Amino acid sequence: MRNLLTFIIRNSHWLVAIILIVISFYLVFSHNSYQRSVYLTSANNVVGWFYETSNKATTFVHLSKNNKLLLERNAQLEAELFALKAYLSDVQIDTLTTKAFLSDSVPVSQFSFIPAEVTNVSFSGPNNFITVNKGSSHGVKPDMGVVSQNGVVGVVLTVSPKFSVIIPIINPKFRLSGKLKNSTNTGSIFWNGKDINIAQIGELPKHEVFHPGDTVMTSFSRIFPKDVVIGYVTEQIPSKDDNFNTLNMRIATDFYSVRDILIIDDEYYDEQNQLENSIP
Amino acid sequence: MKAISIFKEILLFVILALLQVLLLNRISIFGFAVPILYIYFLIKLPYGRNKFYVIISGFLLGLVVDIFLNTPGMNAAATTIVAALRSVILNLYYPKNEYEDLIPGIHVSVAAFTKFTITMVLLHHILLFFIEAFSLFNFTSTIIRIGSSSLLTIVLILALDSLSFRREKVSG
Repeated sequence: MRNLLTFIIRNSHWLVAIILIVISFYLVFSHNSYQRSVYLTSANNVVGWFYETSNKATTFVHLSKNNKLLLERNAQLEAELFALKAYLSDVQIDTLTTKAFLSDSVPVSQFSFIPAEVTNVSFSGPNNFITVNKGSSHGVKPDMGVVSQNGVVGVVLTVSPKFSVIIPIINPKFRLSGKLKNSTNTGSIFWNGKDINIAQIGELPKHEVFHPGDTVMTSFSRIFPKDVVIGYVTEQIPSKDDNFNTLNMRIATDFYSVRDILIIDDEYYDEQNQLENSIP
Repeated sequence: MKAISIFKEILLFVILALLQVLLLNRISIFGFAVPILYIYFLIKLPYGRNKFYVIISGFLLGLVVDIFLNTPGMNAAATTIVAALRSVILNLYYPKNEYEDLIPGIHVSVAAFTKFTITMVLLHHILLFFIEAFSLFNFTSTIIRIGSSSLLTIVLILALDSLSFRREKVSG
């Protein structure tokens, strides 16, 4: 008995090590099951503060590039605005035909946007996440869609009062349905973990016609509006499955430089969710 | 003397953790090689440091890095295992001696320190990347990631250690 006790005391550091390793693996696996804890992620306030401070410094580096992108986007929107204005005035001149079509009040949009700034992006491994500086106190909730000026970024995973963590396209746990522009067949978008700029769209029917450069867009989804750009087709991947095609696509969002994003607030999300969950 | 060395270690802990999450983890050479420098903390602990101290500080360091990188448990698991095996690996390359305060360094013995570093880094990276990949990704890409990241980390640690030696020599 005494020998046993001395043995245990002499080797008790192994016991501590084993306990700590078990705790670590528990964390690994409980996190993998999509658990939403705030304390052990970068959404917690202390970590968020560190990232925000370091981000203030790094934003400077990307300032000119992002400025250029914003100007381009601005120009594009302005062109669109002019086109629409011209169209509207054309229609308005023709008063006889349009009175019936113009509603007398502005319709409420289903989607509103919460602008946020990225405080941290990780893209060195397969488990990538993005932290942004808006949280539940700004109206962000889990499962909201996130877009940048170029296209889809990801989906909100966890929120704290001031920060939220986004699971981006470049995370193997991310799934989204998408389709090619000018087509109705939907496929599933995923990331194989190899290249941060390239994601895959799978489960497209074999007869689907595509060309390199085709736009991939969101199809019906509970999170994103219709026809938001996700990426552009680059090539076909040889697949073992005879019935479906898998394509490589270049992701529209540049994760290396993404700084300003919009979180999509769907007015009808709760209602739809409630209705769907009410089905026994 | 001991209080000073523990204070220095805490400082190293904080600096390495911040360096890892704010700078090094954003480096991804060819999309494969990521320098994982925080393991340097475990390498630089004194020879005769209490084993509980080594294991618990290793776990905490891994956990801090995990919290920043949103990967709960992965770095903590790998670092705890390395911390637990540290004394075994030390005994492989360093003769058992009575200098408990001896800190492994490139200025003590180049060959032993290099071997020690390579073993620690390889073990840590193999554990880390396999826990991270865990059936998700193909084997060859994981092996390439382990190889390139280990090489980068080892070079970085050896360079850093020879630099810090030079500075000590000038000041002391």
